[in-house]
Amino acid sequence: MSTDPVKSAVLVIDDEPQIRRLLRLMLEDAGYVVRQAETGQAGLNEAARHAPDVIILDLGLPDMAGVEVLKQLRTWSAIPVLILSVFGQENRKVDGLDAGADDYLTKPFGGDELLARLRALHRRIKPALAASTFGFGLIEVDFARRSVSKAGRPVKLTAMEYALLQLFITHRDKALTHRQILRELWGPKAEGQTHYLRTYMMRLRRKLEDDLDTPNFFLTESGVGYRFVSEQSDSI
Amino acid sequence: MSWPAQETSRKPFDDGWAREYAEVVGVIAAVTVMGGFFMPRYGLNLSYGAFGHIYLLAVIALSLRVGRGPALAAAVVSAVAWDYVFVPPQMSFSVLNLDDTLELATYFVVALIGGQLTARVREREKLFAEAELHRTLLDSVSHELKTPLAVLRTAAEKIDTSDPQKRTRLTDEIRTATSRLDHLVANLLNQTRLESRGLRSQPDWCDARDIISAARRTVADALAGRPLKVEIPTDMPLFMADAPLLEQSVANLLLNAALHTPAASAVSVTVGMDQRGARVFIAVADRGPGIPPELRENLFQKFRRGQTARAGGLGLGLSIVRGFTLAQGGEVVASDNPQGGATFTIWLPHTSHGSVPGDEH
Repeated sequence: MSTDPVKSAVLVIDDEPQIRRLLRLMLEDAGYVVRQAETGQAGLNEAARHAPDVIILDLGLPDMAGVEVLKQLRTWSAIPVLILSVFGQENRKVDGLDAGADDYLTKPFGGDELLARLRALHRRIKPALAASTFGFGLIEVDFARRSVSKAGRPVKLTAMEYALLQLFITHRDKALTHRQILRELWGPKAEGQTHYLRTYMMRLRRKLEDDLDTPNFFLTESGVGYRFVSEQSDSI
Repeated sequence: MSWPAQETSRKPFDDGWAREYAEVVGVIAAVTVMGGFFMPRYGLNLSYGAFGHIYLLAVIALSLRVGRGPALAAAVVSAVAWDYVFVPPQMSFSVLNLDDTLELATYFVVALIGGQLTARVREREKLFAEAELHRTLLDSVSHELKTPLAVLRTAAEKIDTSDPQKRTRLTDEIRTATSRLDHLVANLLNQTRLESRGLRSQPDWCDARDIISAARRTVADALAGRPLKVEIPTDMPLFMADAPLLEQSVANLLLNAALHTPAASAVSVTVGMDQRGARVFIAVADRGPGIPPELRENLFQKFRRGQTARAGGLGLGLSIVRGFTLAQGGEVVASDNPQGGATFTIWLPHTSHGSVPGDEH
């Protein structure tokens, strides 16, 4: 982000002073302006006053649950939020994502990984180019013709497979929960029918991935959902 | 944390107690039959007084083996049997004279005291053994925690003054130490979750490929440089499992294979279903030395490690695999790999999912 004329501002909401110090060190090094808050309430005030570009939110805050902070924030703001959670809290990650978080990282996380996730959040908040095609790996998607090709050869997708792919492209780099995808594609009544989603993911991967055992684009976030990544160097 | 706590207090009527009461009744009955029926038949007639002492011996012997309650029962049962079978008139409850009453009372008190004393000694021994286990655990946990901490501290002190080349090596050491700590803490937390019964499996439809690839990612560093073969049938159906628990289990099995077999020896993961379609399995097979004979009995118990296992680790891996698999209604089985080495197989119950809405091309 150091190339931006105006530096991006990150708000860190975490009650651990050491985590805040470390994040500040790392983020300032990467060219961000860093603001901090120790509590959920202070974080909300800070977000209202200075409108940061991205928020890093710890789920375990002393005064209120991180998810509660997120819910309140989402009533008036669409600032991208990356949540931090600790090991073994898949449920809370899902709650956070369903409440409107854009991504999550599990502590302990690597610095490079965090920066990559922040860059991905930035890519998304920039107005999307009104491109009529989208490419990843050997795949080309032509939105106008609703056609997909792999290495120049047409790939036949069913209507539902195409809708799933389109959803992933729209939300690229974002962790989508099972519930979010199911609701989007099959409606609110299908929120619990994860086997629909798994079945269609299997079909989509079979048509688009090179190696089914180690997918490159359609990644599984275990216990949470899926994430579509299109730029390999930036994602882990 | 609750893990070193053994069962210190047993419920009054669980299996162990039932067995002890049965043992008491059995032994007293045997002594009674022996003395009351067999011995007279072969012309051995002891006075009923002498036989009281034989009962006394039996009660003391029993109290060495059973708990306080059963020891007391032994005293009562043997007193009744003695009075009924031996004290004249035989085969009826006799009215006792002063001598006999005194003998019965003495006998009863001795049995009582003997039983309580031996029970107390045994309880103390058990406590001692627990303290010993506690200490060993504390030793190994603190060793496992302190080693990476020592590395971190030393590396942090050295890193400022080192030349760039050494700095890279130091950061590598820091990375290794943190991942070791991370793994250790995760294992301890998992074991605690298992024992606090705070673990509830949340099954959902799983794709075997997702599970295996996530597990491989977790232990990628440890598996580096090893041929890993993954076999998943193309028509493998979705199955119900708690994805994070199953991934952790498979990762632990892979990590075990990586840690306890020679470097660069092959590891394979096979997924499939039994013939009736009632169970699915994930098997991790290695080509290492196989399961050490001394471990076969209690391979899946916590803090169990092979005598030849290399340093590092607490022996929680397989205990967690077992706990997580049981929580999902499955079982894990260890066997010999026919081609040499060990195979660990996780079995989970299987039912097919409902139909998936079709869609048009």
